[in-house]
Amino acid sequence: MRVAACGPMLIVSASLLGVGGMARAAGFSLESAVASTLLLWAGPAQLLFFSAVAAKTAWPAIALTISLSSVRFVPMCVALLPMMRTKRTNTLTLLLAAHCVAVTVWAESMRRLPAIPRGGRMPFFFGFSVMCFIGTTISTGVGHALVGELPTPLAAGLLFLTPIYFVATLLRAAKKPVDWLALLIGLLIAPVTQALAPEGFDLLALGVVAGTAATLIQRALDTRTAA
Amino acid sequence: MTGDLSHGTWPWVALILFGFLPSEIWRTLSIFLSRGVDENAPILGWVRAVATALLAGVVAKLLLSPNGALAAIPLAGRVGAMAVGLVAFWATRRSVLAAVLAAEAAIVGVGYWVG
Repeated sequence: MRVAACGPMLIVSASLLGVGGMARAAGFSLESAVASTLLLWAGPAQLLFFSAVAAKTAWPAIALTISLSSVRFVPMCVALLPMMRTKRTNTLTLLLAAHCVAVTVWAESMRRLPAIPRGGRMPFFFGFSVMCFIGTTISTGVGHALVGELPTPLAAGLLFLTPIYFVATLLRAAKKPVDWLALLIGLLIAPVTQALAPEGFDLLALGVVAGTAATLIQRALDTRTAA
Repeated sequence: MTGDLSHGTWPWVALILFGFLPSEIWRTLSIFLSRGVDENAPILGWVRAVATALLAGVVAKLLLSPNGALAAIPLAGRVGAMAVGLVAFWATRRSVLAAVLAAEAAIVGVGYWVG
């Protein structure tokens, strides 16, 4: 596990450098920037939060935006937790586990847990999560300290780590057509949902439409193979 | 409701009230929703597809309407760098690291080229 999980940990840490920079640009101290990583534990939500604060958005609107972007943790947790849970798992452990769920931890777990015996899944998950927490805590602080020192192309490169890593990891974890179809359809309809759905609800609309479409296509494929 | 964000208690209150709580509520809720759901339940196929699509939506947002330094790269450059990353991914039999390195080289290259 040590070797296998190092790459994702380094990538997610590097991508949090950009978040530290955004936090400083919004006027937050180093301590509160680092705390945002530990508390929010979601790069996109942190980017949304700090860019909205920097743009002097009203606080209730910020809270709503963050909440809407974090609805995606419901399907992520509901898909992941049943894979790790045993009869002896208590609610506090589940609360901690749910807090650790973010794209890197989720995608790596979805990919690796099936090969691990059930009793070892929770330890793998928390071990990997703690590695990511340590790495990103350091990088958020470093990013906060370094912002403004980096030339724009390199700063852009740091912010680009998140999207390319998301896409590559999700494709890597894909087992059936439904997995990459959900990704592909989601990317393709994004301009449509951004234009049509009410402000703030576009992500949710996109998730349900693209996820349902991918599931239906997979079902049609399954029926054809069976027939 | 405004205050100095660089020190004092206000940044912490803002972070917890408008960042942490609105986000954490969903994680907490999901524990109760996942109760009694079997690992192999058919509904989880759909749930997983929705989760994946939502992440695609996050990626699309970062590509189409980015913040900060990424906004300095033209749209064609951002989409092009993503395409370069995907080509590297398939060319290397699905290596995440190769995809990330290729896309990063492309985006930083475009950044210096347009800058």
